[in-house]
Amino acid sequence: MIGATVKLQSPSQNSGIATNAYGFYSLTAAEGEYSLVISYSGYQTNTQSITLNKALKFNIELVSASDLQEVVISASERKNENVKSPQMGLNKINMQDLDNVPVLLGEKDVLKTIQLLPGVKAGGEGTTGFFVRGGAADQNLILLDEATVYNSSHLLGFFSTFNADAIKDVSLYKGGMPSQYGGRLSSVLDVKMQDGNDKEYGLEGGLGLIASRIKAEGPIVKNKSSFMVSARRTYIDLLLKASGDSALKNNTLNFYDINAKVNYKFDDKNTLFLSGYFGQDNIGIKDLFANDWGNTTATVRLNHVFNNRLFSNTSLIFNKYSYAIQLLDENSSAEVKSLIRDFNFKEDLQYYSNNHILRFGLHATHHRIAPSDITTSANSSFNPLSIENRYGLESAVYVSDEWTISDKFNLLYGLRLSQFSLLGPGTINTYNGSGEVSSSSTYKSGEFVKNYFNLEPRLSASYSLNEKNSIKASYNRNTQNIHILTNSSTSSPTDQYVMSSNNIKPEIADQVALGFFKNSERNTFEFSAEVYYKWLQNQIDYKDAAELTANKDVESELLYGQGRAYGLEFYGKKSKGKLTGWLSYTLSKTERQFDKINNGKYFNAKQDRTHDLALVAMYNLGRRWSLSANYIYSTGNAVTYPAGKYNVGGLTTYYYTERNANRMPYTSRLDIGATLKAKETKKFKSSWTFSVYNALNRKNPYAIQFRDKENDPTRTEAVQISLFGIIPSVTYNFKF
Amino acid sequence: MLKQIKYLSLLIAMSFSISSCEKVIDVKLNTSANQLVIEGNITNQLEQQTIKISQSVSYTETNTYPPVKGAVVNVLDDNGNSWVFTESAPGSYTFGPLKGEPGRTYTLKVNVSNTLYTASSIMPDSVVIDSLDVKVFAFGSEKQKQTQVHYKDPAGVANHYRFVLKVNDNLSKRVYAENDRFTDGNDVPTVLFYAGKNDDDNELKTGDKVDVEMQCIDKNLFTYWNTLSQQTQGSPGGITPGNPPSNISGNALGYFSAHTVSKKQMVVK
Repeated sequence: MIGATVKLQSPSQNSGIATNAYGFYSLTAAEGEYSLVISYSGYQTNTQSITLNKALKFNIELVSASDLQEVVISASERKNENVKSPQMGLNKINMQDLDNVPVLLGEKDVLKTIQLLPGVKAGGEGTTGFFVRGGAADQNLILLDEATVYNSSHLLGFFSTFNADAIKDVSLYKGGMPSQYGGRLSSVLDVKMQDGNDKEYGLEGGLGLIASRIKAEGPIVKNKSSFMVSARRTYIDLLLKASGDSALKNNTLNFYDINAKVNYKFDDKNTLFLSGYFGQDNIGIKDLFANDWGNTTATVRLNHVFNNRLFSNTSLIFNKYSYAIQLLDENSSAEVKSLIRDFNFKEDLQYYSNNHILRFGLHATHHRIAPSDITTSANSSFNPLSIENRYGLESAVYVSDEWTISDKFNLLYGLRLSQFSLLGPGTINTYNGSGEVSSSSTYKSGEFVKNYFNLEPRLSASYSLNEKNSIKASYNRNTQNIHILTNSSTSSPTDQYVMSSNNIKPEIADQVALGFFKNSERNTFEFSAEVYYKWLQNQIDYKDAAELTANKDVESELLYGQGRAYGLEFYGKKSKGKLTGWLSYTLSKTERQFDKINNGKYFNAKQDRTHDLALVAMYNLGRRWSLSANYIYSTGNAVTYPAGKYNVGGLTTYYYTERNANRMPYTSRLDIGATLKAKETKKFKSSWTFSVYNALNRKNPYAIQFRDKENDPTRTEAVQISLFGIIPSVTYNFKF
Repeated sequence: MLKQIKYLSLLIAMSFSISSCEKVIDVKLNTSANQLVIEGNITNQLEQQTIKISQSVSYTETNTYPPVKGAVVNVLDDNGNSWVFTESAPGSYTFGPLKGEPGRTYTLKVNVSNTLYTASSIMPDSVVIDSLDVKVFAFGSEKQKQTQVHYKDPAGVANHYRFVLKVNDNLSKRVYAENDRFTDGNDVPTVLFYAGKNDDDNELKTGDKVDVEMQCIDKNLFTYWNTLSQQTQGSPGGITPGNPPSNISGNALGYFSAHTVSKKQMVVK
């Protein structure tokens, strides 16, 4: 259990700590009589009396509060962790909130819920792509049980790869990243899968409008070993077939995914975890076109307790993202395949001493990118083409220390040394400013082509004004060596990945942030305000008509520049009582600068939006009904509208002056939901979740197009395209 | 290949977002001073060659573009020839009949109010249309007809093409540009998806008269037309639009293209 509060209380002393990501804790105190209090939101508080005269170890299991009748969840005490901890820029998603937040087509979704947090912007309506504090969509490190998930979207971005049933804990770091995380500039989304229940078997699932899911868990060897398997599949295409619309009948459109986890406790000191994910999307039109893509991850982790102060986690991780496109037309048939694959080794150690929690370790990843492999049939008009694989080694050593200097002053500081090497074999070109090959060398397998080293300092500090209020400050540097090439604003299954090279330098971000944190009414209300400023170096954009797909000289199509982002974020949360929820507001600016774009002047990044507001409210009406609603408002995306027009080739052609200097209309949307719990028996529970997406049926802008007027070709008009109107849905959930 | 992938992906995406809709809105736009626009073509046909010079207008005005009169227009080739173009209609400068030769580099010099604009373009070797036919896409029982052009791409050289599609004398609102990156040396069937006056007018019907002009263009012109083509795809979430890179010096809009021409016509059965 992550982040449970462990307190040691005596008449003279009161010290506490939160459990770490693997549920461990360590406390040191003078000899004497204490009571040990363990609490966690949603669970019964466990209190034990202990006599401390030697090193003691307690493995404690908490009972879910909801399993007990008449226990109101608000009875459990929450620590004021958000005020006391030096960590800032961190948001955690409560998986119970996720059940209640209404979403598109009733599919609860981690990535859509984090888009309701301050500093996080949605990529587009209905999509799971997100931008954190002015970063690009590929600057988020998305981890599932420590394995990198390269493409976190299903169905062209309308759903995420994370099946909420299988997820235990979600943490989003927007700034002040601890030094164990690295490799991406803007955020870390650390998703941990659920462990199976090692006491009893359980089966739960849900039937939704477009997807169904089922999860099973239970002991393999009681108290020693457990499993969890969760699977999900959509059946949109089955609905399309049933719709009778003949144009849609032959389309394939589905995805499925499976999460599984097994753990085995050898003894008190050694526990082994195996977890994996497999997901696949399939879209296509019969006899014409097929496209499938998906992620695979596998993690083996050994958790070892050396002694009551030192813990270690050793992990071997595999992850892969691949796609294939088939053109099925007889005289132009072709198949395009692409993949990115990593092998990782991670060693992470944590050492607890009186006022320090020391964390140190190393991380090594071997990357292989197969950019494009085109195979064709003999009579196809296309030629086979294979773009050379690229190999890279990315490694890092890090150390951090969370130092409780005094009751008031806490420090989390650390350093990460990251290294990246582009490896042979391969023929590597260097390009000059106009995109021509200036030199070319061939390397043997394993030969180092180019090495980069970066030192990444991380620092955050908190100063408690009193028990309820604190101020925090942080600075962090992050670097990135894997880059997505895409000139489209929506997430695409065919995004190209490239590594740092002779031409592409590691991206670097420096961020400073300052925050004020406040809890009130015995931690019922949480409030935070943070300001940040971020500098970005070695950012990537594209030349005109850049050819990014299946191009061996793709690096000649790139432009390099810089960026800056700054903003102010407010977050207020109420976590107890009948009414719970949060309000988040972000005021921000995000700009980029490239010598060859916009005459070298700074311009608004696509995701730049001045205001972003989200209100999420959940109201418990009693035993059976609960209601929920969320409302979002955001300034329109920065877009480029024409300033003038002219005629070439007989067509009206638009003249543009400044890049992204215009605004789309604002977005405003209300979603509502309700959950009805059916009568429970001891063995069986079920509920109905109703939701209405875009309840006011507002036509929100998805894209703006300019065209000649149909009735008056001497004039032009602007047309707004909207995606989703009002969409009601219902889901049935059950649990044995 | 990529265009086809994009087009088909878009069709699927649209079938998913069944509820998508569009409406005309008012937008606040910047205005811009009128820019000089030069559209120059030299072809391998023995015909009157034309250089058009006009000005752009602000977005909010009507689609009438003021011609630029009284310019001095010269075209030179790399064989020492030069031709003085004369203004035969306001803003339209012509010479001819004149036949361009593949392999020659042509240079355009335009002097407007003592400002000189120059551009060069190489006329590539000619590739001709072998035939036209109708490509039928079957989405279940719904069939969509589109124009398909067949040509033989010469092996071993980089070729760049532009197509101009007219259906019943209406110019398609899409820009078609392609190269032989994936098709070098092959018999190529390429589909020209029609864009008519509205969304219901994006396919061929029986009896339609289809005219296709195929141009072999140089690499700079390919980048020019391809940039425009990506912007007229009309796919939401597309790339940030910008002015296509003109091969004319001095910040003029437009292009100067020396290209070969091959034309075919068909009637849809």
